[in-house]
Amino acid sequence: MKTTRRKALLGALAAPSLALLPRASLAQGAAREVRVGFTQDALTLDPANHRNRETETIIRNMHDGLLTRDAQMRIQPEIAEAITAVDPKTYDVRIRQGIRFHSGDPLTAEDIAFNIQRLVKPNAMGGQTSPRKSLLGPVEDASVRDARTVRLHMAEPWALLRAMLPFQEMVNPRQVQRVGQDGMQTRPDGCGPYKLVDWRRGEAIIMERFAEYYGGSPEIPVAGPAQVDRVIFRVLPENSSRVAALLAGEVDIINDLPPSAMRQVEASRNAQVMKVNGTRTFFVSLNLAKKPFDDVRVRRALNHALDKNVIISRVLANTATPLRGVMSPDAFGFNPDLPEYAHNLDRAKALLAEAGVAQGTEMVIDTTGATREIAEAIAALLSRTGLRVRAQVWEGAVLSPMWQNAERRKDRDMYLTSWGNGALDPSDIMVPTLKTGGRGNSAGFSNAEVDRLLDAAETEVDQEKRREGYLRAQQIVSEQAPWIFLWLPQDIYGVSRRIAGWQPQADSRINLHRVRIAG
Amino acid sequence: MSFSRVLERLVQLPIVLLGVSVIVFGMMALTPGDPVEIMLADQRATEEQAASLRRDLGLDRPIAERFVVFLGNAATGDFGISFFHRRPVFEVIAERLPATIELTLVALLVAVLVAVPLGVAAAVKRDSWLDRALSAISLFGVSLPGFWFGILLILLFAVHLGWFPVGGRIPFGAEVPRLTGFLLIDTLAAGRPDAFLRALSHLALPAITLGLPTAALLARVIRSAMAEVLATDYVLFAEAKGLSRRRVLFLHALKNALIPAVTVLAIETGSLLGGNMIVETVFGWPGLGRLVVESIFARNYPLVQAAVLLYAVTYVLLNFCADLLYAALNPKVRL
Repeated sequence: MKTTRRKALLGALAAPSLALLPRASLAQGAAREVRVGFTQDALTLDPANHRNRETETIIRNMHDGLLTRDAQMRIQPEIAEAITAVDPKTYDVRIRQGIRFHSGDPLTAEDIAFNIQRLVKPNAMGGQTSPRKSLLGPVEDASVRDARTVRLHMAEPWALLRAMLPFQEMVNPRQVQRVGQDGMQTRPDGCGPYKLVDWRRGEAIIMERFAEYYGGSPEIPVAGPAQVDRVIFRVLPENSSRVAALLAGEVDIINDLPPSAMRQVEASRNAQVMKVNGTRTFFVSLNLAKKPFDDVRVRRALNHALDKNVIISRVLANTATPLRGVMSPDAFGFNPDLPEYAHNLDRAKALLAEAGVAQGTEMVIDTTGATREIAEAIAALLSRTGLRVRAQVWEGAVLSPMWQNAERRKDRDMYLTSWGNGALDPSDIMVPTLKTGGRGNSAGFSNAEVDRLLDAAETEVDQEKRREGYLRAQQIVSEQAPWIFLWLPQDIYGVSRRIAGWQPQADSRINLHRVRIAG
Repeated sequence: MSFSRVLERLVQLPIVLLGVSVIVFGMMALTPGDPVEIMLADQRATEEQAASLRRDLGLDRPIAERFVVFLGNAATGDFGISFFHRRPVFEVIAERLPATIELTLVALLVAVLVAVPLGVAAAVKRDSWLDRALSAISLFGVSLPGFWFGILLILLFAVHLGWFPVGGRIPFGAEVPRLTGFLLIDTLAAGRPDAFLRALSHLALPAITLGLPTAALLARVIRSAMAEVLATDYVLFAEAKGLSRRRVLFLHALKNALIPAVTVLAIETGSLLGGNMIVETVFGWPGLGRLVVESIFARNYPLVQAAVLLYAVTYVLLNFCADLLYAALNPKVRL
């Protein structure tokens, strides 16, 4: 009996030692390796066959585009050396020389034309149309001018071309022939700084340095091949686990760090918190087709009633930038001179009384589970005016289509929502959300002057004139207050002090080309 | 169990599957939310592009036609293309299934290894401190939310002690050629004991998280069944015959006490296979549960339909196996 007990005791002591063994050897192998704890796996590795931000973040480390953005969100050349307007509907793209795909094939002007056609031509992907077609707006074709020049043809002038080209990555047409359309989902051949080693579905994507990389954009230091041997995107969907992996030193960068964990990360010796303004504007859409929201005094009253700084500090842990209007301060055409609807309960009450809105009037803010807490806080703060405001939680798949449809939303009051502006250009957010009939115009806002200004800016090639138009449009929107203007959440990352040469950027990309091991 | 009974059970299977198909197809179709809207959830897609995508996914056809096509294809093992992965559903599920099965089996092993000795000990020492402690612990174990327990284990054993990794199945550099998809088998088959240990260390925390609540339930069932059996005449008779205590307990009493435990195990296996999404999420485990829940939110109809059918088959077969085990454990049971 004694022997058995001793064996059991030894076994219990041995178990953790066994567990320690792989961990130690794992750490040794990680010297020139950077690991990202990432919320989601890639849906596909074909850059033309998805509409998913996380998928693009992963793919972008293996594929380059004609243009890219630096950490300050400035548009920079990548595969393209220069883009010049031939006329408002035609652009010439000059291709950089000496670029090779991971397979060794050289990148040519024909390859770029093939990629553009694959993205914009109907049924060009084995009978299927690329789901990314709409990201290239009116671009309808590409043709080869000479060995280094590709011409882009558009159905109409499009001011957003440069802002939208960073969303497209180039694949090797010969690889499409070799592996077929279906094969492209899992067997990429790009010309980015890393090449695929292994994709363990749902678990990790492992890439290694591409030694023959041409170096990327010379405008972003440091150009040249990647500085680490291997990068791994590890899929860790659960917030606490991602934080734990960072604190345990298993990963070096984590995205979507929950604000509640910021203090814990900062307190650790081996990691730090990094924040950057995101590109998603949050607002409460007011149903302008329904009383009393058709009265501008009510809409202004609601803006005055909400002390958004309280929510930013208490609910969002100071991880959002308050907005007076639609646009991010980082975006082209941002109007810094918009007046503020300062928090003023007396003013709000007076405006409501003036508009004939009785005390105790009930209002509902529609929201999804993800933003329930914020909606409840907004409801509580608005209720201080004497209104009775409450939040109603819906499933996103139900709520969003309901508010896109004027008939279906006709009985609803308010909608806590957001709109991404990845292009950081007013066209990308104001046209869909504030132009008459826009796909995301959940408030049902319609203003002839705003429509005219937005239409003019869409086709205006002179950027200064576009800017002026957008400044005026933002002014009108601010005065008309179709929304309760809220904030721009920041993207929060946990980053190991072990790495350097990386900083977060507003488009949520985690480009690892220039990352290196510190020291 | 007679051959005709086995045949009868097997004939029931397609009928159950047809019923499940109708229900799952109907429920997915009736659930509000449009996969095309979700896939193109942005401002730039035009109605024309949405219609084109809808056509590509086959969602422009009437629901009845879609159901008939689905049934016809499913009968030949073709479950269509996953909307979001753009690859055959069968392929996407097959990639994830071994991870879930492996985790489930190890969790069950943990559960049985913990529950059987504890359940038997509590029954033998009825009303002792051990019995009371086990009751309290098992109540705690049954009530444990997997999410919370998993995080707790990670914080203690991965972050503070550093004994086990936070998540994943195997680290880079320890991979072995895929033979069965079960890493514990593949690593041994490749003659890589180091990789086996690494895979085992990755499995430990999720398996304990899943296995201990099951162990708690199982221990309670074994304890009460065992207590009942120990009070029967034949146990008294066996002891009177002079058989050793160990022999009476494990050869005579435990065999009968295991009958209700087998039912519990069959049900638990089914729910572990289908319902460990939370634990898979916490540990970044690349299993089927996580995939299915993600697919439900994305209205990825083909994948959800195929996975639910797979769950239905699993449940039916597990119950079938439980019935067979009944008969083996207790010859009085005639199926």
